[in-house]
Amino acid sequence: MSAQATARRARPAAPPRRMKLIATLALIALVLWSALTIDIEIDRILRLPEGLGLIFYRMFLEKGPLWSYFPEALAGMIESLQIAWVGTIIGAVLSLPLGLVGAKNVSGGFVSNAVRQVLNAIRAVPEILLAVVVFIPIVGIGGTASAYAGTLAIGIHSIGTLGKLTAEVVEGIDPGPVEAARAAGGAPAQVQRWGVLPQVMPEIVAFWLYRFEINIRASAILGVVGAGGVGDALNQAMIFRRFDRAGMIIIVIIVATILIDYVSGTLRRRIIQGAGAKRIHGEEIEEPSFVGAGAGKEGSGSG
Amino acid sequence: MTASTSSLGATQRPAKPRRSPWTIIAIGAFLVITWWAASEEFGIGFDVVRVVNNLTRGASILAEFFPPNWSYLPQTYGPMLETFKMAVIASIIGCGVALPVSFLASRVTTPNLAIFLADRGILNVIRALPDLLYALVFVSAVGVGPLPGIMALVLFNIGVVAKLLSETVDGVDPGPIEATDAAGGNRTQMVRWAVLPQVLPNYVAYSLYVFELNIRASAVLGIVGAGGIGNNINTVRRFFQYDNMSVILIEIFVFVFIIELISIWLRRRLV
Repeated sequence: MSAQATARRARPAAPPRRMKLIATLALIALVLWSALTIDIEIDRILRLPEGLGLIFYRMFLEKGPLWSYFPEALAGMIESLQIAWVGTIIGAVLSLPLGLVGAKNVSGGFVSNAVRQVLNAIRAVPEILLAVVVFIPIVGIGGTASAYAGTLAIGIHSIGTLGKLTAEVVEGIDPGPVEAARAAGGAPAQVQRWGVLPQVMPEIVAFWLYRFEINIRASAILGVVGAGGVGDALNQAMIFRRFDRAGMIIIVIIVATILIDYVSGTLRRRIIQGAGAKRIHGEEIEEPSFVGAGAGKEGSGSG
Repeated sequence: MTASTSSLGATQRPAKPRRSPWTIIAIGAFLVITWWAASEEFGIGFDVVRVVNNLTRGASILAEFFPPNWSYLPQTYGPMLETFKMAVIASIIGCGVALPVSFLASRVTTPNLAIFLADRGILNVIRALPDLLYALVFVSAVGVGPLPGIMALVLFNIGVVAKLLSETVDGVDPGPIEATDAAGGNRTQMVRWAVLPQVLPNYVAYSLYVFELNIRASAVLGIVGAGGIGNNINTVRRFFQYDNMSVILIEIFVFVFIIELISIWLRRRLV
């Protein structure tokens, strides 16, 4: 009977939305509960624009950018870049063998699972926690020790993400060359070198560059806990309320980060797509693995 | 022609292609930058021997993490809950703001070049600063507590979601857009009926993803005074209470793991 009724109508009936309604109500309840019980007084929210306006004024407008502080800000940023660079190399060097062993088609199911779990565990600890919890207590801070703790934290954390991505790329290779290398009597190491690596290296090198971009942001943060780089300068400026200096530091971080993202993004596109690839638009900041799972489909469909 | 074929010989290998000059330049640049960054004079003074020496010293410090001091656990419930609430509030605000911002960051929905470029530019600047540095600035501006943490997370969320979603909008099927144009729809109607239904599943997925990131990020924001469980990390590390630290770490692990499971389950159900 209801089918007859809908048949007469011009439009088909909307599909039932019970699930959607429940989800929406649950979400609203969750947000309301969070907002009402969190420890923030209303008058602090009301004073928010004033506070933000004042700090913005003192950072950038009061005296203009503090150019006399530029050399020191730049030196901090360069230290952050060096930390990110060396840290990325540590991560790359250690993640390559782990990624190979973590791929199901290279090692067996049990070994690859075990390695993947280790990589997941490493990935789950943010760099800053690694620095605070592990490397600063071990290495100490002050002098070169600070940069050193930061470099190790970034290097170790990078193993997790880079190893996972490497394993995923290796699992997607064409088995032909591997079989050919084996049939020609190649030893296991030779099979990896001539059958696997040539297929995956462009993508893996692109990941390394991408990780370098992420690690620049991470190393800028690490100074806040005393692990070297530009974050240290920013933290000092904030503690002594030298907002003019903080403003200069922020300008240097933003400009340097955008510049390096641009250069690195262009290089990555060239590595992946070969010469003649054009830069279309800015690059992605989040994990490529996620984009590959969700957004990537859309991207390849449009191309 | 026959002469050149025969001169190659039957068993001779073809000549190896010459390396492109770009490869050589790239390798050279890599070596120079690495030397510069790791050197004592110009860089951070990185030294492998020192790593090995330190790692042997580190074992005794890491031993202090065990056994975890479980009596500390009740003191962490409140801050952990605050971390969760911060993530919820920041996600809803950030993702809400990111929706219109992403439409402005795609040429499909924003033909006006000036608006498009301005939006893209602002997004690039927002994403150039990491969340913890925002938190540091906001703590100075509005004082300690969850408020500056939420503000930092909101900016971080806008950066991530707007980036992912605007790329999704770039890739939508143009059919429905042509259909709304043909039916006389204006731009708002086009976005509402042609673009939004296509990107909505992705938007929900990105929002859940960003919520997961927020839980992780807000766990450390407290290190600069921006509320949540990070406050405890900061206190504990000042007093070298490593047995308490391991309790906090285990708790964060378990919490992040549970949130991820729920998020994956929801994504499967809804998307």
